[in-house]
Amino acid sequence: MAQRIPNHLVSNSLLPYLSSSPSTSLFRLTTAYTSSSLTDASRPASRSFSTTRPSQTKLRREMIRWLRGKGSELQHHTPGETNYITHTNKPFPGNPLYRSDPILSEDMRNEIHRQVTVQNKSVRAVSVQYSVDMRRVAAVVRLVELENQMKEQGKSLALPYARAIHEMVPVTHLREHDDRRKSHETINDLPVHRLTDPQIFYPVSESRQFNRIDAGRVFSAAPALRNQRAEWLEANPDETIRRITQESPANIEKVGKGDEEHQVLLPADARIPHPHMITHERNRLTIGKTEPAEVRQKYRERLEQETQVELQRKERAQQRLEMKTQKVQPENSRFEFRFTDVVVSRETTGLTGRGHKAPGRRYGVPSSDRKKGQVKIPTRVKV
Amino acid sequence: MRNRATTPLKTPKIRQSWSKYNLYNLSRLRDVYRPNATFFQQKWKAKAAARAYHGEQVSEKQWQRMFSPRLRSVVPMAPSNLARDDGSAMSAGRGSGLTKAPQPEEMEDFEVYEEDAGADKPREKFRGSRASYTGERTTPYVQMTFAPLERRLDTAIFRAMFASSARQARQFVVHGAVKVNGKPMRFPGYLLNPGDMFQVEPERVMYATGAPKDKVERRQTRVARKKAAEEAKKAEEAAEEAAEEAEEAAEATKAESAPLEAPRKTLRALMSKAKAIMNSSKDVLPAKRKQDLRGFQRAVRRVLSRSGNSSVLTANLEEQFSELTTLLKVKRAEKKPQKAEKTEVEAKAEGSATEKSESEAATTKAGENGPITTQLSEAFRQAIQNPEKEVDTSELSDEEFEVLRRALVQMRDNPVDSTKPYATPWRPRDYMSAFATIPRYLEVNHNICAAVYLRHPVARPGFGEVPTPFGEMVNNPAFVWYLRRR
Repeated sequence: MAQRIPNHLVSNSLLPYLSSSPSTSLFRLTTAYTSSSLTDASRPASRSFSTTRPSQTKLRREMIRWLRGKGSELQHHTPGETNYITHTNKPFPGNPLYRSDPILSEDMRNEIHRQVTVQNKSVRAVSVQYSVDMRRVAAVVRLVELENQMKEQGKSLALPYARAIHEMVPVTHLREHDDRRKSHETINDLPVHRLTDPQIFYPVSESRQFNRIDAGRVFSAAPALRNQRAEWLEANPDETIRRITQESPANIEKVGKGDEEHQVLLPADARIPHPHMITHERNRLTIGKTEPAEVRQKYRERLEQETQVELQRKERAQQRLEMKTQKVQPENSRFEFRFTDVVVSRETTGLTGRGHKAPGRRYGVPSSDRKKGQVKIPTRVKV
Repeated sequence: MRNRATTPLKTPKIRQSWSKYNLYNLSRLRDVYRPNATFFQQKWKAKAAARAYHGEQVSEKQWQRMFSPRLRSVVPMAPSNLARDDGSAMSAGRGSGLTKAPQPEEMEDFEVYEEDAGADKPREKFRGSRASYTGERTTPYVQMTFAPLERRLDTAIFRAMFASSARQARQFVVHGAVKVNGKPMRFPGYLLNPGDMFQVEPERVMYATGAPKDKVERRQTRVARKKAAEEAKKAEEAAEEAAEEAEEAAEATKAESAPLEAPRKTLRALMSKAKAIMNSSKDVLPAKRKQDLRGFQRAVRRVLSRSGNSSVLTANLEEQFSELTTLLKVKRAEKKPQKAEKTEVEAKAEGSATEKSESEAATTKAGENGPITTQLSEAFRQAIQNPEKEVDTSELSDEEFEVLRRALVQMRDNPVDSTKPYATPWRPRDYMSAFATIPRYLEVNHNICAAVYLRHPVARPGFGEVPTPFGEMVNNPAFVWYLRRR
């Protein structure tokens, strides 16, 4: 695409800094400020020769005073330190509930990329190793790949800019040969489920152990488990969670009828991103002191198992997709045509006839794209 | 679209912008408790202030349709806690956990996992076992009121620090400088889905975040452009006329390059220039610095043009560097078992510390009197005093090599180029650092100016992920205001 960067002669109100360098403009402001009958000890020797007096309000003078005083330290940063108004890691003085989280350093990014692509480690393993969210690990790999590609193509990179940013915001550096690893972020975030919003008064006998599995059933209005089953689940917590996370999600129990049908809320142990870490912790608590090597071995095996299960699941999904699609490639053609069956039934169109599962226009059902508030811009871009 | 995002001083409004006016307004921002105002007035004021910052470019109707009363949140779980207890401790007693102080070891374990969540806050007293799960910090749900706007492409570009204001980000999108998942996207209102990658042209980002040109630089640009135009005209004329003039010109260039300087002299000049470049601090005027840089560039060019291989000038840095050293007949100094070794080692330690970031070395004033530079200047002084001594001038110490290399790197990465729309060499614009923060729901690669929208922003115990200048005093009434029709 042609360069469309506006040239510097355009004076755009969007870009107020375009017209003058701040140092010079500040100087100009200073002179104006002193000439407007304000006694100041630091009167500069030179005066502007302009005969028109710039309009100076009290507010403006105060702003200039602030910029020259307290604000002057915000003008430039000290590398490796944040430079916020608050002098903490919170950039907004009015909002103590937001803080500037660290970003990954360049070394860290490259190391993560190397571990995933060269050493063929699973995203899950790398995520636990560096305490970086799995989605972030995947994004890092993707971005570094793009960076390498751009370097190969000889495209210009914004290196001085990147360096400056990494000096301004907190950064998590790669620490090798250091036992005390500092975590980048929490990796076991449990999303708060909609079903857990209401407060429920649920009386339970004191003799009963009311655990997370039971709580999930109460929130999703599922009947309580039978005693025998509940006892088995309680006795084999690792196996219970393994079954939920590694077997098909279709096996999850459902309650309700028709449109109201929904899955029973699973315990937090199964809904966090790294359920295998709980098993590991449990092993550590029980046999960790006597047999640490075995604990490590078990952890590795479990991780390997998780990876295998995920791979198999992906393969099966791919196979299912291929089973559904019929591929036709005519002779001497560049194209391959892929056909998938579509189902337009009461189930897919729904009672209103507008169900999004069924494709195409439906006779007698007007299109809703002329309605107010319909989004006309694309809702997703396929990679 | 008219830009209504002004930053007035009289009725201060906080905007999504890095301007110094905005910074001043931000520093003045106070949560005012107005006991005399009616509930309606409180809500009105709050939503007006919040909307002036959040999605000011989005119409009120559009935002009302985007608004969702469901606010996302997460709770960080500690696997050790989950392993130790199946949840029955929480429901023990009268249904809200047994009221006893937790074991000290539990607290420690908890801190290991939660260290990033509450490191900067003094821990409050534990009251029950529930505290070990939430850390006694409430989740600031209302801080997520404007979370749906963070999905917008223009806002995300501003949050990733690719533009100096949300309006500028919007302009970049509309002008076609932004791609989503590798495809051009011209809708600033495109709502990013988790996993979407967006990238902005690096040149635009450098322009948006770099310091603007000053008067002198703009003049230089004009002059350079005029000169280039004239040269182009001349070249055309020359092409029209004949090859005679071309021959003459070739002769002229030969004559120019003919006087070869002694390698030692060249080296001395080069080193002094490199030193000047690496030394520059805030005190040095940018114009002077630029002259230094240009001089260094010219000197390197001159040396490299002497090599037989003509592709060196455009080759990569390592090649250039090795070529430079061979041309100058430079050998790396071997460590001498003398007193000098000690100082050298010390200097090296200091040098590696300063190596971390170039600009660190460039900005610290200590660089002026630092051990490296004193050593260098000493070497130069010696070289000038007794020029017959070959060893001192042609052998370079590691630090000197480092200085030369760093100067070369900087010249390549951050060149002086008058055709750019920003001040060169690039430096961050003023007051940028006061706004510099990358929210957690983005993963940004600044080298290529690309970022991935990982997930929707969430609230977590103690923190809200939406970067908003307002606290709960403002966001709560604003949330209530938008609840009313739903």
